[in-house]
Amino acid sequence: MATTGLTSRRRRRPSGGASSWGIVAAPLTWVIVFFVTPVIMIAIYSVGGISGLSPNDIEEWTITPWKDFTTSPVYMGGLNPLGSGLFWKSIRMSTIVSFTSLVLAYPIAYLLAMLAGKRKYTLLLIIIVPFLTSYLLRVLAWRVLLNPQGVINTFLVDTVGILNGPIPWLFNSSFSIYLVLSYVWVPFVALPIFVTLEGIDEHLLEASSDLGASRWKIFRTVTLPLSMPGVIAGFIFVFIPTIGEFITPQLVGGPGGFMFGSAIQSAFSFGLDWQFGSAMAMFLVFTVAILLAIFGRYLNVRSVAG
Amino acid sequence: MGQFDAVLNKTTTRRTFLRSMAVAGGAGVLAACRKTETTGPGTGVSSITRPPITEETGELLVHEWAGYESKWIWKDYRDKGYPDPTYSFLTNTEGVIAKTQGGFPWDITHPEVGYIQDYVNMGVLQEWDTSLIANFARLNPVLEATGNIDGKQYEIVTDWGYSCPLIRTDKLDPSINSYSHLFSDEAAGHIGWFDTPWILQMAAMTLGVPADEAFFMDDATLTEAKDFAISKASGVYTIWVDFTQMWDDVRQGNLWATYAWPDAFVVLKEEVPVAYLLPDEGALSWAEGLVLRSDTENYYHAHEYADAWASVTTGEKLIGLWGYGHSNLDVDLSEIDPEVVEVFGLDDPETNLSEPNSYIDRYQPDRDRYNRAWDEVKASIGA
Repeated sequence: MATTGLTSRRRRRPSGGASSWGIVAAPLTWVIVFFVTPVIMIAIYSVGGISGLSPNDIEEWTITPWKDFTTSPVYMGGLNPLGSGLFWKSIRMSTIVSFTSLVLAYPIAYLLAMLAGKRKYTLLLIIIVPFLTSYLLRVLAWRVLLNPQGVINTFLVDTVGILNGPIPWLFNSSFSIYLVLSYVWVPFVALPIFVTLEGIDEHLLEASSDLGASRWKIFRTVTLPLSMPGVIAGFIFVFIPTIGEFITPQLVGGPGGFMFGSAIQSAFSFGLDWQFGSAMAMFLVFTVAILLAIFGRYLNVRSVAG
Repeated sequence: MGQFDAVLNKTTTRRTFLRSMAVAGGAGVLAACRKTETTGPGTGVSSITRPPITEETGELLVHEWAGYESKWIWKDYRDKGYPDPTYSFLTNTEGVIAKTQGGFPWDITHPEVGYIQDYVNMGVLQEWDTSLIANFARLNPVLEATGNIDGKQYEIVTDWGYSCPLIRTDKLDPSINSYSHLFSDEAAGHIGWFDTPWILQMAAMTLGVPADEAFFMDDATLTEAKDFAISKASGVYTIWVDFTQMWDDVRQGNLWATYAWPDAFVVLKEEVPVAYLLPDEGALSWAEGLVLRSDTENYYHAHEYADAWASVTTGEKLIGLWGYGHSNLDVDLSEIDPEVVEVFGLDDPETNLSEPNSYIDRYQPDRDRYNRAWDEVKASIGA
């Protein structure tokens, strides 16, 4: 059949050869030069294989920076995820923010993909537009809203008069960190979910309905499972960058906004403690790589790439 | 020496090699071709034959703090008709050290005196020839001494200020002239710390550690200071990094006691009741200035630029506009707000910047130990 022949031709793997390598060579070179090589250099630097970059470098092969970090109750805090170590503090923050973002983003993506009809791309654009502005500006705008003399507190205390004083947990708190980070990342979660929802074959939903399934049951047994690649991708999109986050906690988290990423930044600034900072940074890279490997098992990249 | 040093040295060798050729074997030939100048006699600077200023490129690269590129600061340099410097901007000195290690070019940069030794250790500085800086003789010797290492003037110290508590006088008692305001229970919930390990030194000084020893605490003393800071950390409203945000928090009453620089007082005293305290424990102060890159191709231009920075007119404006101190002792204080002059002791900076009144920033070889302790303090505050 002609169709079979067409399908077969489409599915045929492109032949290797010079032209394929030519296409791959540029991005591959870019990744090797600007990503792989620096990461390897940082890894070597963290164990003293490279030295002399900072005045405080240990100029011989050593595991001291790694030992200092992994045995520290401050930075690592053992293997207790509920412990006080900065690493676990950041993991907890990322987990909460990722789940919050998912909960907020899923209805948005569902609305756009399933209910918005022809206007979905316009609405998608409207959702994304604020995120074309500076990240820092958006975070700083939240300061204006949340701080003790900010819009929300002023409204509740002075205008409406239902409170005697500012809400203490609204600013410089865990809540403000989670709120602002979730706001920042919601669109990035909504997009992959939107793509997977849009890719769901409508006939499956119609068939479920014809067979007597309720809307809730269709969502639970058909839509949600089929959109899981987007959900997992969205989770990864938030979780990975927020593990190393330090700017937003610093701006809205108050004195308690010191995270694992802050410790890395601090090692590279105040202390000129770069090998120690490199060890922490590499630990973060390894953590992310392991998480990617785990999540990758459940993630169909093609399904979220549209 | 690390492998990177070897690589970096290769990148700088070409210039060095060419200069060496000019100085050593090629000097005679070059002398026959063009006029040269020799600097150094009587200044401690080794005699090196250099091309005269007219043969320099004049493309001075200045790596500066934002704001210090203002034309009034280097007015004298401009008035002499030299080309405008090209500026790049720094946010912290540690970052400059990193960039410099990576090959970032500059002829002049502006570190705090505590970091000069780091640059010297990296081998990227050369000493200034102070005989080429006419204003140098007018500069505060107490400050200039901090820019001198082993008899070599590596930094022309230009500006200075304090790192001390600023308090709201309607909330706290200004007669308590101490760093203890930054750790007091009375101000709990309204305390502002700057994000710096110096907080540990202030904690130590509050506990009775002499100011000069606070720069070099042993493990036990540092731990004591750290534990004290941790015990008081719950009363901290913010650990600020943006001074304008700190100013707002003082204005709005969120902060009653905060680590601050003099400019905060100059700005805020017109708006809210504040006092800037120079604590009895000894006021911690910072000083900074211009350092000269060892391979600069604009040696004489750099000296002219430093001379402009060191001028009386620049000093008067720096104090008047920003409340920072300037090292030139001939600055006319009659145009400066008398309150600012009194609070910061600008009428006798030599005495007021000398110990035991003030303890200027200094090289701390084990900053990483202080930094990790400071991290512990910050990490102790739950989010």
